[in-house]
Amino acid sequence: MEYRIENNAGELLVNFTGDITFTQNMTFRNMLKDVAGQSAKVCVFDLSNVEMVDSAGLGMFLIAKEQADTAGWKLQLAGAKGHVASMLKLTKLSDIIESAS
Amino acid sequence: MDSGNSLTKDNLHKAILGANILVVDDMQLMRKMIGMCLERAGYTNLSYAEDGDDALRIIEEDMPDLVILDLNMPRMSGYEVCKALRASPKTESLPILVQSASETAEERVEVFAAGATDFVSKPINQPELMARVQMHLENRFMIRNLSDFHGHMQRELSMAKEMQHALLPEQSLISKIEQDAGVVIEAEYQASFELGGDLWGMWPVDEQSTGLFVLDISGHGVGASLNTFRVQATMGRYKHLYHDPAAFLKSLNDDLVESFPLGQFGTMFYAVINFETGDVTYAGAGAPRPFIIGDDNIRTLDSSGTPIGIIASATYENLTDQLHKGESLFCYSDVLVETPFSGGDMLGEDGLRDLVMEHRKNGEASSLVSNILTTFFAEIQTSLPDDLTAVAFHRIKAKELEA
Repeated sequence: MEYRIENNAGELLVNFTGDITFTQNMTFRNMLKDVAGQSAKVCVFDLSNVEMVDSAGLGMFLIAKEQADTAGWKLQLAGAKGHVASMLKLTKLSDIIESAS
Repeated sequence: MDSGNSLTKDNLHKAILGANILVVDDMQLMRKMIGMCLERAGYTNLSYAEDGDDALRIIEEDMPDLVILDLNMPRMSGYEVCKALRASPKTESLPILVQSASETAEERVEVFAAGATDFVSKPINQPELMARVQMHLENRFMIRNLSDFHGHMQRELSMAKEMQHALLPEQSLISKIEQDAGVVIEAEYQASFELGGDLWGMWPVDEQSTGLFVLDISGHGVGASLNTFRVQATMGRYKHLYHDPAAFLKSLNDDLVESFPLGQFGTMFYAVINFETGDVTYAGAGAPRPFIIGDDNIRTLDSSGTPIGIIASATYENLTDQLHKGESLFCYSDVLVETPFSGGDMLGEDGLRDLVMEHRKNGEASSLVSNILTTFFAEIQTSLPDDLTAVAFHRIKAKELEA
């Protein structure tokens, strides 16, 4: 998994590429630190280049969501497709974490 | 040295000062000189040998931590001592610091080929000798500490693994349910590491029905496995809800949501199967969608739902289906569909459905799981990346049952 953060006038867009799985735990936490450091109001995770997410990856989204709620920014998911989309649906995480419109 | 203690620089230094060092030299003056040098540096546990034979005898009686060995000695030379020590499993990794007066490149090669760990030349430069002694003793103590720790962890993990396997249904329960319900049960459980975050289980609900669950804790390894114990213990508190999958999952979630760490959760599927009528009532908490497999069709059960342990407000819904005679109910953990095959692509749910259909058509219906797993393990490139559970209830046709 790799990520790139764009800051568009206070709105963050995190572009992920590659798989988001158990082994990316540290990278994901570093990403969250980067995001927290930018004190934005909204942060969108763009998942359109992510092929798969496992249960640990979903757990990381939940950690991000918790961090967003605590720090007062809004987390949104965008672009989920294929396996990622079906995982979000299967676990109803799409009810817990908002989708970007 | 205590295997449970981690080595700090300070206690490592203390430990090596108590190390048993054997000085082997045929010249008394040399023995005395090296010994004094070691004593001055604080080493307290020294022994001496006059020649090779003497050295091997002393080593046999009381294993040193380091040998400082002269090369040119009567009877048995330093080379022979090296070779003899390396030939024995007990002393194959004993550090041997060779000291010699001759200084040719060939000799150094020969010394190392004979098994010496390191080399100092005579006349001995005392600070150099002390630095080398210290380095080899530190290495030895650190390696010993690590391998003690490794052995200790290995034993702990094996014990924990046995405990975790004891959570799975016993063969006697499986056989009883097979007999009472007229089913063949296939179940495979493998942790990717010693301990895993998967669990499955079953229990009689009433005279006609059996409850079956599969659970997959997010992540794997020790942390995930501890959560399987937590969930297992909690499930026992809701026996009165075994007949009602949605209520059972809701109670389990309500109970566990506070104690599950952030970012960890369990995906689950729980079904109650009535083997008289074939009625299946089930509820899902985000587990991979189980299949009901017939001769020419596969139905997918909707196991979507909020995994256990995330939010207190999660609710679950009972859904129904039928497990007809001759059909199989197949539940599996996500590793089966998420592990890349040799072609680079993961199977996915569609791929698994195709594979299941292929094996159903070409193989024995009641060995479906083992046939699928044979293909799976032949295809995956790596070792198992996550814990694997695959369970099937094969409902036998009446005529097969009689036969």
